[in-house]
Amino acid sequence: MRCRPDALELLETAEKTLADDVAPDLSNRQRYNVALIASAMRIAQRELRGGVSAWPGELAALEKLYERNRKAEPSQALDLLNRRFAADLRTGRFDTKGLDRKAAIKILKEDVLARMAEDNPHYQK
Amino acid sequence: MKIGEFIRDSAGAESVRVEDKNLLSGGAIQENRALTVFIQGGEFNGEHELVMRAEAPATIAESRPLAQQFAILQAVKTAGVNVPKPLWYCGDNTVAGKPFYLMQRIYGEALGVRVTRMGKQPGIAAELAAELAKIHTITPPAESLSFLEDVRSTPAIDAIHKYQAYLDDLPEPHPPLEWTLRWLQINAPARDEIVLCHRDFRTGNYMVNDGKVSGILDWEFSGWGDPHEDVAWFCARCWRFSAPQMEAGGIATRDVFYDAYERASGRTLNRSLIHYWETMAHARWAVIALQQTMRHRSNVEPSLELALIGRRVAELEYECLKLTEAL
Repeated sequence: MRCRPDALELLETAEKTLADDVAPDLSNRQRYNVALIASAMRIAQRELRGGVSAWPGELAALEKLYERNRKAEPSQALDLLNRRFAADLRTGRFDTKGLDRKAAIKILKEDVLARMAEDNPHYQK
Repeated sequence: MKIGEFIRDSAGAESVRVEDKNLLSGGAIQENRALTVFIQGGEFNGEHELVMRAEAPATIAESRPLAQQFAILQAVKTAGVNVPKPLWYCGDNTVAGKPFYLMQRIYGEALGVRVTRMGKQPGIAAELAAELAKIHTITPPAESLSFLEDVRSTPAIDAIHKYQAYLDDLPEPHPPLEWTLRWLQINAPARDEIVLCHRDFRTGNYMVNDGKVSGILDWEFSGWGDPHEDVAWFCARCWRFSAPQMEAGGIATRDVFYDAYERASGRTLNRSLIHYWETMAHARWAVIALQQTMRHRSNVEPSLELALIGRRVAELEYECLKLTEAL
């Protein structure tokens, strides 16, 4: 069993130290770098709070779309199904109106919104 | 040979002294240095503030070689576009270790965040629209630009094929971008007028000084295309920085920009084509952002800035889904 503080707590503390103690004494160029570092740490924290994908329902939704039972472990299954999904989108499998197209659009939407919430939660929609 | 000797020979001078080599900010791909050059003799006799633009350690597929950028800069200068005056290109790696060119240094603010924080600037938007119209007066065939790739099918279809090929080179699949490129394919407009497009004409790539445009920068992506592509790129949500409500580059309303462009070019803009190319703009920027991140991930150019560009893709995909009515 790991000791506390855990990865999330460490990132939070490191980010706070960087912002409160390190940044004020720095040049503009270095302050820009600190802002980048803090931004990266915040994205990492949000990602750590989630699971394999930003949208927890992603794998189940892809499996339902392709009517498949899981054979591989989740991250591998997610990769394989997304490759198939991308290829099918390109070749026009979801061009015609119907349930599959509806399901495909829902997957795209949920995935993008969930990743946005991790990567840039303050984006003005 | 050193840079001073190169300038001396190029300028037909007796002697040259070069000072200051500060790295200028801006340009995620290219490297820009400010030089003060003292030239004695010849037609350039006197003190000159110049910028030396050199190839960065790693470039992306879209980026043109420096010699071509220099030729484009010369062509648009001749067409009367407000750009820094191009002076000399040097392809000899023994001079500075890599190819470079020298141009006149212009002054002002270019940083997108700061430009858009200055508030509404309809005058600047109108000036930019007129500059864009001048760029679009250059049409194929142009002898000095013979290296530009011909449009094969239509500008849109060519672009879609290119971005699909770029996606194929990436290690992960990107369904939202595939969806968008498919939408773009289904809705692709027929071939129409072909002009020189800047292809990165946006806030962040021009300089503003004393309420005036002091120059259009960054010609590394230019090529033949549909004039609506540049208009749409300028207005795309991803290039409005801190002022998303100001739909023309974060500095003005669309009407101001469109009207000024139509007046200067004599062209009537097709609003649905702008919507189309704005969708393409977000897909294109997303693909380029993924390529930029690969420069970091492949260890060719490790950089936190490049790493973080990869995490901007979700917001670009969001705009893509919105524009293709999937949201």
